[in-house]
Amino acid sequence: MANLSLKHIYKVYPNGTKAVNDFNMEIADREFIVFVGPSGCGKSTMLRMIAGLEDISAGELSIGDTVVNDVEPKDRDIAMVFQNYALYPHMTVYENIAFGLRVRKLPKEEIHSRVVHAAEILGIKDYLDKKPKEMSGGQRQRVSLGRAIVRDPKVMLLDEPLSNLDAKLRTQMRAEILKLHTQLKTTFIYVTHDQVEAMTMGTRIVVMKGGFVQQIDTPRNLYRYPANKFVAGFIGTPQMNFFDATLTQAGDKAELSFAGGEAVLQLPMEYLRKVRPRYLCGGAVCAGIRAEDISLAPNVVAASPYKVKMQISHVEDLGDESLVYGTVGEARIIVKTTLSHEYRAGDVCEAAFNVKKMHFFDAETEETIAPRLPEVNELACSAHEGKLTLAGAEIALPPALQGAEGEGTLLLPTDAVGFGGDIPAVATDCEQVGEKYLIGLELGGARLFAVSARRIEAGAVKLAIDFKRVTLTVGEFRAEPLPDSIRLAGTFVKKKERRNASGEPSRKKMINFYLDLAGASFPAPENITRKLLSTLSPRAVFSAQFLFEFTPYALTFGEAGIAGEVLSVVDYGAEQFALVRVGEETVPVLCERPISGMVCLVPVLEQAGVCEAKSGIKLL
Amino acid sequence: MEGAKKKKFRSKRRAERTANAVGHIVLAVISVIWVVPYLYLLLQSFRGEPGAYTSYLLPKEFTFENYTKLFTDTKLFNFPQWYLNTFLTALAVCVLQTVIVLATSYALSRLRFRGRKGIMNLLLVLGMFPGFMSMTAVYFVLKEIGLTQSLVGLILIYVASSAMQYYICKGFFDTIPKSLDEAAKIDGASRHTIFFKIILPLAKPIIVYTVLQAFLMPWGEYMFSSLLMLGDQSKFNVANGLRQMLQRENIAEYFTRFCAGAVLVSVPIAALFIWLQKYYVEGVTGGAVKG
Repeated sequence: MANLSLKHIYKVYPNGTKAVNDFNMEIADREFIVFVGPSGCGKSTMLRMIAGLEDISAGELSIGDTVVNDVEPKDRDIAMVFQNYALYPHMTVYENIAFGLRVRKLPKEEIHSRVVHAAEILGIKDYLDKKPKEMSGGQRQRVSLGRAIVRDPKVMLLDEPLSNLDAKLRTQMRAEILKLHTQLKTTFIYVTHDQVEAMTMGTRIVVMKGGFVQQIDTPRNLYRYPANKFVAGFIGTPQMNFFDATLTQAGDKAELSFAGGEAVLQLPMEYLRKVRPRYLCGGAVCAGIRAEDISLAPNVVAASPYKVKMQISHVEDLGDESLVYGTVGEARIIVKTTLSHEYRAGDVCEAAFNVKKMHFFDAETEETIAPRLPEVNELACSAHEGKLTLAGAEIALPPALQGAEGEGTLLLPTDAVGFGGDIPAVATDCEQVGEKYLIGLELGGARLFAVSARRIEAGAVKLAIDFKRVTLTVGEFRAEPLPDSIRLAGTFVKKKERRNASGEPSRKKMINFYLDLAGASFPAPENITRKLLSTLSPRAVFSAQFLFEFTPYALTFGEAGIAGEVLSVVDYGAEQFALVRVGEETVPVLCERPISGMVCLVPVLEQAGVCEAKSGIKLL
Repeated sequence: MEGAKKKKFRSKRRAERTANAVGHIVLAVISVIWVVPYLYLLLQSFRGEPGAYTSYLLPKEFTFENYTKLFTDTKLFNFPQWYLNTFLTALAVCVLQTVIVLATSYALSRLRFRGRKGIMNLLLVLGMFPGFMSMTAVYFVLKEIGLTQSLVGLILIYVASSAMQYYICKGFFDTIPKSLDEAAKIDGASRHTIFFKIILPLAKPIIVYTVLQAFLMPWGEYMFSSLLMLGDQSKFNVANGLRQMLQRENIAEYFTRFCAGAVLVSVPIAALFIWLQKYYVEGVTGGAVKG
């Protein structure tokens, strides 16, 4: 078993540069994970943190079931292959491979049999007596692989192992590393800047940029459903074509007009179901389409209703296919085609877009505007006398939202739509996305999505809406969702006292740790104490400001604690929450009966999240 | 067109030839100036006629007596004793200094600790001051702990400042790729193992350099030796001892013997150099990383 768990991992250098930000990932046993991204994106740093060559600034790294943040590289049971091979030049190939075993003082016969076995697997048995400098690059990298596999590690880490090889050798070694992966039955983590390597090797790929994870998915999903413009442009050759454009809905069509040109496509709304309505009112978007999803073939163009005029600038002939470069309006475009001979530079021809495979991104944030799992449904609605009307369907509003009157919009998070309530609806389709299911629903005349953990068959269903998570804006009335977490500032302090942490008196002076939180002091729970003391320097830990994060369920009323004043009580039917003013924050607290006046809040600190206020680094 | 090209080519060759000729003449003159004193010393050491100075270069009578007398006539000047003193000092300094320099350089090259830059600069600046500035202070300190007129005291002085010579050695360690350390670390090696099994075998040229430097220094060192051993001829080193032969009252009789002694001093150094020379040029990092 060698699964890896990476939780909120950060790498911050002493000068404040953040090389890796909040890296989260669960890696299963025997996976082949590829970290890919342009240089300086933090992929190698992340790998070196897993190897133990770099300290982890914050977060938790586990290999198997052990947290290895403070474990020496040699005790992590990992092996690493370096880009520059890092062979010991004064040793023969045999000694190089055997070094790790000799250091671990294995019996001689065992070392010999293992080295020979590894050499056989890699086809370097004849070179065992040679020195690294007598070998070619490919052979050296094989030795380096041999040195790694001979120890039979739980995790193999490969840091751009093929970058120093020429193109032909690289393809060959790629296949060999994949073969090795199936043979060794161990977890591989592979770093590369080459997206082709990533796509061909990984079972899952982590795309990184500027220290942030952009997307983690299988190669196929990265290609089909890029989460943002960067991933869309990075994965796939030639690069995806991007156009600045605007989207305007008109009935069951949406007009896509390209900036700076007359090119206009009428897209069926069916393809844009997941796009949030606010992008469909003529706003600027970035449209993307891959070179292979555009066709110049006359028969396709003739049959397609989605075509634009393209001026050809030049043609690259690659033998079996060719790349036609040109412009549509002001935008550059690349088309992959098999019928190259008919196109010449300067020609103007028509290109047919396979609009079903188009991608759309926010012009500013560059995030996709049609995610695979939409986060929120944006629905036109009206409210009257405690009833919400959604395209003909009536839903009773909870007391908290009773005041709403008029026309407006409802923002309904897809995971706030549950099944098993009393609102009748029809499930139209069900799509599996990762481990979740996206269910298309018809509620009256409105279409919406729900995210469910289980498959829902098409047909009549009953829905339940979690009203504490919706945003309802009708007329003057505006209801915000209840925050799912609240943050309170606090510090970590130590006191020398003649009693232990649980309050019992003791004869000796003991050091007890407390959390000072919004004017009240609580004994620090063990998990927080351990985490803070282990990740921060002794000087920083008692002077730093922290933000403690709670869900509304992790706060209770008590005799003593954080003082606050109840502003109001909101009633969502099944649950009631008191809005309590603490300092400048308004904190929702679950309450069983209406409450008012001054109260004291006691947080369940064991469940609290902790982050450092200044840097925003999540510690827990 | 072709002719013009040819002409240009020829004139370039001529210019090169002239430059080469001038260069060689200058070098020849410099090397003559450089070699003459050594040649003079060698010839004088075989001179049979007495006296300090002769007006001719080639001795009229060749003899080995100057060499044999150095070892047999030890009543006034105990050359074998000095030779032994110096040899022992050089050996001790050589071992201790090499260890200290290598350890300092490795630490400064590979470890990152607070004050590392400060220490490096401080050592560099301290190394720029001439050693004799601290001479009196060092003498009194050694006198307090009773180490004057002792070889141990002398060795202590020589070795004490060795860390200051980290610079060249650290520069060499910096060229050994860090990924070797990292690979070894992952292979399970401790810092100790990495230093002895990986770094030192790769650092042969610089170890040789350090050894030579350390071994060389005591043979020519005069100042500290004469100060520390003041009055005790049996503790003199060769430089200090041979200087005695050049005193006004001795020079006439002992000048040729002094020359013989000087030639003998160069023997162990030359021997060591010849022995270690092959490591000096051996490029060892080939094949460590992409070549």
